[in-house]
Amino acid sequence: MNKKFDRFAGVAFLLVGILFLVESQKISDSAYGSSVGPKIFPMWLGIILIALSARLLYETFKYKSEEWKKERLQYKKFLIIFVSAVLYAFFLEKIGYVVSTFLFLLIAFQTVERGKMVYSILISAAFSFGVYYMFSELLGGSLPGFPLL
Amino acid sequence: MDTLQFLADGFSVAFQWQNLLFALVGVIIGTAVGVLPGIGPMSGVALLIPVTATITSGMPTSAAAASSIILLAGVYYGAMYGGSTTSILLNTPGESSSVVTTLDGYQMAQQGRAGAALAISAIGSFCAGIVALIGLVLLAEPLSNVAVKFGPAEYFSLMLLGLAAVSGLAGKSMTKALIMTVLGLMLGTIGIDAVSGIARFTYDQPILYSGLEFLTVAVGLFALGEVFKTILEKDEETGAIAKIHRIMPTKQDLKDSAIPITRGSLLGFFIGVLPGAGATLASFFSYMTEKKFSKNPETFGKGNIAGVAGPESANNAASGGAMIPLLTLGIPGSGTTAILMGALIMYNIQPGPLLFDEHPEVAWGLIASMFIGNLMLLVLNMPLVRVFAKIIETPKKYLLPMIVAISFFGVYAVQYTTFDLFLLLGCGVLGYLLSKNDYPVAPLVLALVLGPMIENNMRRALTISNGDFSIFFTKPLSLVFIVAAAAWLLVPLLLKLRGRKVIINEEG
Repeated sequence: MNKKFDRFAGVAFLLVGILFLVESQKISDSAYGSSVGPKIFPMWLGIILIALSARLLYETFKYKSEEWKKERLQYKKFLIIFVSAVLYAFFLEKIGYVVSTFLFLLIAFQTVERGKMVYSILISAAFSFGVYYMFSELLGGSLPGFPLL
Repeated sequence: MDTLQFLADGFSVAFQWQNLLFALVGVIIGTAVGVLPGIGPMSGVALLIPVTATITSGMPTSAAAASSIILLAGVYYGAMYGGSTTSILLNTPGESSSVVTTLDGYQMAQQGRAGAALAISAIGSFCAGIVALIGLVLLAEPLSNVAVKFGPAEYFSLMLLGLAAVSGLAGKSMTKALIMTVLGLMLGTIGIDAVSGIARFTYDQPILYSGLEFLTVAVGLFALGEVFKTILEKDEETGAIAKIHRIMPTKQDLKDSAIPITRGSLLGFFIGVLPGAGATLASFFSYMTEKKFSKNPETFGKGNIAGVAGPESANNAASGGAMIPLLTLGIPGSGTTAILMGALIMYNIQPGPLLFDEHPEVAWGLIASMFIGNLMLLVLNMPLVRVFAKIIETPKKYLLPMIVAISFFGVYAVQYTTFDLFLLLGCGVLGYLLSKNDYPVAPLVLALVLGPMIENNMRRALTISNGDFSIFFTKPLSLVFIVAAAAWLLVPLLLKLRGRKVIINEEG
């Protein structure tokens, strides 16, 4: 267990709970005369979450933190893939499905493990073209096509 | 005799050529999902929802729902079977439900009996599937007849029980599990309120009016979460794969495993019916039972075939049993069935007692296809065991980015917005962080699916009673559910206080 994360999460959940409690008060009451409007449920959820996160914070003071194993996480690889995934999402509609998918897969393949460029290009191309044609041509779905064609 | 008639109709649905194909594809993909470490049944099913949604898009709603649920259920129990392959050959379980299979399965492989172990687990899975099927047929009608009489108060309490059961058994800390449940319920309130039409927590963003799409959240939390985990944490090198010599088990093997299979199937089925207790618990209990009943318990852990046959039957029977509360009551008992339920709701089909009246072809078609799917698994897996063993060697290099790309495709093809892609990525990071720190994500997904229904039933019940909360305690059935829900949360807590070790369900 990671005490630091639990404390941080406890505070975050506490804030979410308070946010729900406060924001639910702004929801207008139901118009059709029922005594139970749309704000009751979120309000109670907020209260319960506040109670639970208080309990979580209390628990973090009770248990002894286990030795936090130093793990060497591969932040660099993850960040490259994550950022390229964000760019993939951003450019999907702008440069089309095939091109963006091809680029994303190529970068990601090479990031996970360098080398075998030819295979990477072949698999990325097969995947992006394959999915696009299967979906758009055979099944009649719609994906952003090629912007230049 | 009605039931048999419906079952026959179900078989005629399941025997339509496209549904046979769907079942076949489902069990093959499921087995692959089970074999590949890193993708569990939950992310496997979640990833395939968008794909099936597109394939079936041309069909009428009801037929489309039947076909895709047949495929998705095939993935579910196929994965249960596939998970055992890696346990036996590599000593690394593909799913948490086949952890106990490693104990004796890998030992058998070391002794050159890998083929027999794999075959027995296929046979056991098949028998378990049949037991679960019979149970479904027997229980489905009576249960849904009872459930039809439920009012909103009963439903509210029953769903509360479902949530309590999953939270009580999931993960190491109940506080964390409950937090995830409440968080899921909160996410479910975003969007336009179905009863009053008032927008809640949308902050004038039109994209939020329809609420957060369940599919995006589920794929992000499970599939992307696992991908991110594998990228971040360099995995240990996997050991050598055991060779498979002969596949057919000997007569002695069959004789030794007949009783464990029967016991495991029955035990697994009843554990599966209970909400919250899934395949992992079932296989665990079955192993302990077999050890207890065995004439020579000291051979367990040294390659006793009963230690493979029992648990493997139990986890398959449990996945069949888990279908019962889903189909008859509309209450999913585990993360995977919650995702199946989400898939049905996407097709505007509400699981629950009325399912058998309104969409008999979906309910009975699914039940019948489970029989066919199990048969396919048996026929496929005996000769193809070597092929599936090869899948283990799929390089991660290509697998991981491809899962990301499939998730993107799936979410975009259903939603058509880049907003959902960003939500997907956000949920992926969240899924990794949460499950890494023992916050179980299955209750969150379950709560997200059940949330709107819980709220609506609560408000309907309160409207009937003019805002008097005692309606939940004065209706006898509702009171029973609430007491059971409270017990589910309190009993593990009390046991913990007395210093007992509580078995938890990691699979969710």
